[in-house]
Amino acid sequence: MSAELKHKQTTAPAVQVRGLSVVYATNQGDLPAVRQVDLDIEARKITGIIGESGSGKSTLVMAMMNAVGKPGQIVSGSVEVLGVGDMLSIDRERQRKARGKELGLVFQAAQNSLNPLRRIGHQVLDLGRSHEVKDLRDLLRKAKDLLARLGMDADRVLASYQHELSGGMRQRVGIMFALILDAKIVILDEATTALDMLSQASVLEIVRELHKERGLTTILVTHDMGVVADMADRVVVMYGGEIVEEGPSEFVLSHPAHPYTQGLVRAIPRISGDIDRAVPLQGAPADLKTYLEPGCPFYQRCSVAMPKCQESRPTSLAVAQDRKVACFKVTDHD
Amino acid sequence: MIEVEHLRKVYSTKGSLLNRSQVHAVRDVSFRIPEGGAISFIGESGCGKTTVGRILAGLETPSAGIVRLDGVNIHQVAARERRNLLRKIQLIHQDPYQALNPAYPIEQALSAPLRIMAKQKGDTPRTWIRDRMEEVLTMVGLDPASVLYKYPHMLSGGQRQRIVIARALTVEPTVLVADEAVSMIDVSLRLGVLRLLRDLREKLNISLLFITHDVAAARYLGSGGQISVIYKGLIVEQGPTEGIISRPQHPYTQALLSAVPVLKGLERMGADRFILAKEMNAQSAAETGCLFADRCPFAQERCFSEAPTLIDGDYQYACHFPEVRQVAAVAAE
Repeated sequence: MSAELKHKQTTAPAVQVRGLSVVYATNQGDLPAVRQVDLDIEARKITGIIGESGSGKSTLVMAMMNAVGKPGQIVSGSVEVLGVGDMLSIDRERQRKARGKELGLVFQAAQNSLNPLRRIGHQVLDLGRSHEVKDLRDLLRKAKDLLARLGMDADRVLASYQHELSGGMRQRVGIMFALILDAKIVILDEATTALDMLSQASVLEIVRELHKERGLTTILVTHDMGVVADMADRVVVMYGGEIVEEGPSEFVLSHPAHPYTQGLVRAIPRISGDIDRAVPLQGAPADLKTYLEPGCPFYQRCSVAMPKCQESRPTSLAVAQDRKVACFKVTDHD
Repeated sequence: MIEVEHLRKVYSTKGSLLNRSQVHAVRDVSFRIPEGGAISFIGESGCGKTTVGRILAGLETPSAGIVRLDGVNIHQVAARERRNLLRKIQLIHQDPYQALNPAYPIEQALSAPLRIMAKQKGDTPRTWIRDRMEEVLTMVGLDPASVLYKYPHMLSGGQRQRIVIARALTVEPTVLVADEAVSMIDVSLRLGVLRLLRDLREKLNISLLFITHDVAAARYLGSGGQISVIYKGLIVEQGPTEGIISRPQHPYTQALLSAVPVLKGLERMGADRFILAKEMNAQSAAETGCLFADRCPFAQERCFSEAPTLIDGDYQYACHFPEVRQVAAVAAE
């Protein structure tokens, strides 16, 4: 029985996204920022979502929490979160509770998500009250334990305002807030992008340790292939509002299939290997016009594009076990 | 050729005379960049690397030390001449989104410095400004016809940074100071800008001071590049780029190299990789001993009492107990 249960736990995805579309209302009409995305986030794994600015990666994770800000609007789809239900159809109060309780989010700029006028300790209490935590003392104790676990002087941090903390410390406070209500799914949206190399490495190390200790499901959203390659079990590559490739990160890096992923991997400045093997990717990142094209969003920059690519959009198909690619060159075999 | 000797910069904080405190942003920095050479300053935020760049660009006056451009000490000449000298040193900022005036099309951003130059040069043909604009835009890999009349918001981050570089090139500089010039650019375009800086070095013989926290980016500036690792305003290790990456001596350099993410599937982790957990404490007043001792995982008693000095030579480092550690990732193939 317990073995069966365990099996179930490992196979049921923590988040199951189906047919998700988000549009932004502009004066040129509705622009699809996320288009018909299907995605399974495996429980207890680190999933990296990678894409350039404007690829729709942040919109996608905000939509997972049903927290897309105006002028964005979710037009279709469902987001089944394990233990919560469909985030897009449950009542608003349950959604609000789920954000923080089941789904923890760490933002890129933690200074923008912390209240500059209240001490960190007070904000912990605020969070407790808004989530109707009975024992606030216990919550503070938990906060202290977590902060100590994150390598900080807990008493000092709780008594500080956000401007008294360094960038790396604020980001750790952000992680503390994401975990304090025992969220099992943690989303880090560009959480280390603003940090320098050393703070980034130590924050990532902490994320890795906590992920293991608490059996978390971690979603890393970033534009840095290095971070994903170092941390993630699975990588999801987004371009122009669509998922163009996904699979185990080691294989995607060593054998990228989609021309965009190939270009991206080649374009990473590395500290190992021959520097002349790195080639810059041509063209400009996807912009609003790209979203409206009928063909493949990568068509303009693709070196192996066919006439077909301009006319119709490739759909994401499984090319191997656990591996999906949206490219005619890869999926067509006739 | 630019030479810097024993550069120092001390900022005093505001306050009453009694509790005024001093911040040593740059303690002692010496280096020289030959014509067409490249040096990368590497360190975390708050280590003083940006201040070095600002002093070179003439935005700050050093508290002590000498900056020599082609043999002339730029702080010992008349103001007018200094302005002319400093024009040879151009600064490229980190954020291409803020470096361009959003209300002006690219054409105006580029023609403003050129008009001044045309006046100084005297008899230039009427089309000179226009030709020069097209020349620099082509040099940075942009199509003049398509970008010249655009506004900054119509361009991508990579294109904007190219415009900023083109603007710096209009005045025919001999030194470019690039302060985190690629860190705000999309990853897919980053390498393109690094390539461009490398081409400028090789084709125009421009010397490059590249300020970054990304060790990997420093490799792409081309051959003969040097790395200076800077910590709390002091150079702790200095040498050829490949040497620093493969055989780092100083624990701080090793910490920086360990912090570079490992590309699983393409690279293997360095055998001695370690993650520095302690953050830099800017206030720590321990002025005796090695500045890095309080964070160094290999610190011994001597490190706290006696400051190490930079060993002279092609490859310099300041550490009592230097030891090569294999921390950088290595290619898996």
